[in-house]
Amino acid sequence: MSTRIRNLVIAAAIGLLGIACNKKTDGAAGASGSGKAADGKAPILIGITADASGQYANSGDSDKRGVIMAIEEMNAKGGVMGRPIKYVHMDTETTPATGSRIAERMIKQDKVAFIIGGVSSGVANAVSQVAQKYGVIYLNTNSSSPSEAGENCHRVKFVWDGNGNNFSQAAVKSAIGTFGKKWLLVTNDYVWGHDTAKATRKQVTEAGGQIIDEILVPQGTRDFSAILLKLQQKKPDVVAAAVGGDDLKALRAQVAQMKLGEKFAWINNQQDWPDIYGLPRTDLFGVFGTTWYQGLDLPGVKEFNAQYLKANADSKIKTPGNVFYNGYWATRALLEAVDKLKTTNNRALIKELEQLKLPASVRMQHHDAFMNPATHQLQQTIYLATADLKSTAPDDLFKILSNTDPSQVVDKEADSKCKLEPLESTPVYEP
Amino acid sequence: MLPHLINGISLGILFGLLALGFMLIVGVMEVINLAHGSLFALGAYVAVEIINPGWLGDAGTTYMALPLAVRYGLALVIAPLVVGVIGMGLERLVRRTYGKKAEYGLLLTFGASLVIEEGIRIVWGPGEKSLPVPEGVDGGFMAGELIYSKYRFFAALLGMVLMALVWLFLEKTPYGARVKAGAHDAEMVRALGINISRLRLFVFAMGAALAAAAGIILTPIWGLRPHVGVDAVIPSFLIIVLGGVGSFWGAVIAGLLVGVTVGLTGGYAAEWSVMSMYLLLILVLTFRARGLMGKKSALEA
Repeated sequence: MSTRIRNLVIAAAIGLLGIACNKKTDGAAGASGSGKAADGKAPILIGITADASGQYANSGDSDKRGVIMAIEEMNAKGGVMGRPIKYVHMDTETTPATGSRIAERMIKQDKVAFIIGGVSSGVANAVSQVAQKYGVIYLNTNSSSPSEAGENCHRVKFVWDGNGNNFSQAAVKSAIGTFGKKWLLVTNDYVWGHDTAKATRKQVTEAGGQIIDEILVPQGTRDFSAILLKLQQKKPDVVAAAVGGDDLKALRAQVAQMKLGEKFAWINNQQDWPDIYGLPRTDLFGVFGTTWYQGLDLPGVKEFNAQYLKANADSKIKTPGNVFYNGYWATRALLEAVDKLKTTNNRALIKELEQLKLPASVRMQHHDAFMNPATHQLQQTIYLATADLKSTAPDDLFKILSNTDPSQVVDKEADSKCKLEPLESTPVYEP
Repeated sequence: MLPHLINGISLGILFGLLALGFMLIVGVMEVINLAHGSLFALGAYVAVEIINPGWLGDAGTTYMALPLAVRYGLALVIAPLVVGVIGMGLERLVRRTYGKKAEYGLLLTFGASLVIEEGIRIVWGPGEKSLPVPEGVDGGFMAGELIYSKYRFFAALLGMVLMALVWLFLEKTPYGARVKAGAHDAEMVRALGINISRLRLFVFAMGAALAAAAGIILTPIWGLRPHVGVDAVIPSFLIIVLGGVGSFWGAVIAGLLVGVTVGLTGGYAAEWSVMSMYLLLILVLTFRARGLMGKKSALEA
């Protein structure tokens, strides 16, 4: 190999490392919101930590849009405490180290009042550790690892998505009765996958089922053929997949191609709307969980969908979906709490959010939602859905199979694992 | 064991196909084309538009009446040509870096990859797309007790055909001989009256077209999203380094080796399946720094 080629290869390897690890390296601040200046008061700045690149870029965009719509909605009412709300967005790149760095920068340099946003559990955990250090309230909007409200819980962190344990509880009992006792787990080899698989394993075992094998799938897997062959050799009754992001998209495409969706009963823990939008509905095999769907026949849903469309005319996704919904509701509830208490003092707001109750009629869900003060996870309706193969409307992809009251799917393990830092030892933060 | 081995070989052929355009450009022009992945993705997006041209409106009704297999076939020919033309435009930019430090070409193609990816995001949106495949090769087939994907074997067959065509072009045509000569000694080729600039333009276009063809063939398996190119460029790079930079057969053999390694680890220790290709690279380069066939390049006369 000539010296020139060798140098070229070394330089290219460094370049590729850059592409793989840091697709959007600028990390620059996003546009500020259009807050109305009220009496010249200083704006409240919200830091949005949403992935714009990497495995969860699509969901990160939807999450960010939800946060922004809630901010704009509040600004249209004159802001909170007479202060306009602005935001700064930085790409957390689906990378925990980037999440830590960005959280530090947002707090120390940009002086944000709150941090909102999270899809990857690893990133959310990293951001929350920094937030706890400074006492900054952090809303983990969309990461659904049980550990986020379990061993990785923090006094400043509030978790807005249902977690793997909630979804497993909603699905497992009925699936064992309907499909069979031999279960095989296909697990993404990182914190969310492991936590979710652990929860499923426990549920299955307690319900009298048997885990015949667990296949660990590294993040970044694009070819599932060997795994699908192994899966057939094992002959399970049910396949419980805790695979997320782009890995799930590749898995779904390959399962659909081989028509394996019909061969086994698939329980896909959770299905985020941005991950499946635009795909043929035949790719949506199996049963999956969600916290909200824009096709729910409940008061306010149509208006919310119209509001989304108006505020997000530039988005290729024409209906809000669960990720947007979680981002919107987390932000709205926080801003309403600020407005109610007339303070941005973190300790006062934490106490308020711990007692949060949101009626089903307001949240557009089937059951009332409430914050669990012991884990800081919002307890909410868990829906099970499957593909709606009869509908021809392009966005009517889901058929809701059931809605479960939050009291039926409490993550008791999180209750025992979560040790919130005492409020008194959480630094006071009042921007 | 046998099902995983067969699966690994089919995967290996696809990996070889993935690296083909990358190999051609680096072999002839000594430019590591980091836009390879974006051109891969662009090819698939253009193919989607050719297969389902929603933008034609009512005028497209007659066209849409054509069987999917025909539209897929057209996409497989036209989309690489379109991307080849874009590759020509890219070469005109890269041309300014010839004779300068290699890093300039690298940075330029890296920048181009970002521009293309963002362009895809603007035109087609950030969401997932589906590239339909002909009904005849969709679904699975039974072999023993197992279901295999028909499309995977069809894709591997297409990959072999494309590889054979590239080999025939390089080895059996006068233009292929010029390409190889240009890679070996550009100044001598120029002195013999061959337009080396045009030759490089053509090679870059061909590399881009091959990237696009790989995108069309592989994205029904991987799924299609704006950043799918990242999934393509890293294994491509790994394969050409493993096989020996600029070696046709090196790329083919390395592709097969990587495919079999990933296929077998996927079957028996799936958590190592992604890592295994990097371990293989380390193993080979430890004992053979120039890669498997780095010396015996097809591009050396």
